[in-house]
Amino acid sequence: MGLPMDLHPHGRPDTRVTVPGADVRDLRAELAGTRVGIIGLGGLGSNAAVMLLRSGVRRMVLADFDVVELSNLDRQAYFLDQVGRPKTEALAETLLRIDRDAELTFISERVDPEMLLARFGDLDLLIEAVDRPDAKAMIVNTCLQRLPHVPLVTASGLAGYGSANAIETERFCENLWVVGDLESDVDTGLPLFASRVMVAAAHEAHIAIRVLLGFTEP
Amino acid sequence: MRIELALFASLEPYLPEGESASGRRTRMIDLPGGITVGEVVARLGLPDQPRVCFIDGRGVREDAVLTDGVRLAIFPPVAGG
Repeated sequence: MGLPMDLHPHGRPDTRVTVPGADVRDLRAELAGTRVGIIGLGGLGSNAAVMLLRSGVRRMVLADFDVVELSNLDRQAYFLDQVGRPKTEALAETLLRIDRDAELTFISERVDPEMLLARFGDLDLLIEAVDRPDAKAMIVNTCLQRLPHVPLVTASGLAGYGSANAIETERFCENLWVVGDLESDVDTGLPLFASRVMVAAAHEAHIAIRVLLGFTEP
Repeated sequence: MRIELALFASLEPYLPEGESASGRRTRMIDLPGGITVGEVVARLGLPDQPRVCFIDGRGVREDAVLTDGVRLAIFPPVAGG
């Protein structure tokens, strides 16, 4: 039961949901039957993957063409002894330390539209977690135009030291949820802080969980 | 014909003068019939940057033709991930 409108801190309806008759084991079992893709395993994707797995999403397709660099350790879910290794390989190691039976597929290549259609087209949900705006637009445009049945979570605007409360999840259209403040751009010189990046990663993971459980509003 | 135009984030300053529509980032604008999304982008002078375009909430290519009464929304993703 949500708070009355006038008591809610943001003046919006509380969207907490109680599923009648369901306990956390039922919900985790439901999530365990889903398959989620994450494209980009940097600050957003590596942290979102950890959160999804801890929440019960145990089948994932994870893509990144890059290797772990020392400069990634300030915000990404990697460790000193993984520097120089492919992010896919390093993240596999970490995720399997959380759940050794997780069903993980890793793709260590750059994702283009054809690969996106071939490898991510039959998933229950896809998370865009890349860093470059052209790659973000390619993924969103390809999904909206050619995979309209696959729910997509994307992120835009998570750099800098602005308020963490400015990062929100917004439903842009039927199958697209956008996370971020929409404006804080790394390319304008803003730094990336683990705290704000992880807020955005948590938003991505959480709206994914909500959508997988059948809810649509952020 | 008349459409609703929504420009998000860094594109908001490119909204033309005119009647506000359903939100802060929107205007009602008049356009010639048969115009495409790409032609609207050129007419508004939007910067050459990655973007996502929607007509009535459906993702479209920039060669999509607008019709009277639709809502065109344009969103530019920014870097960081």
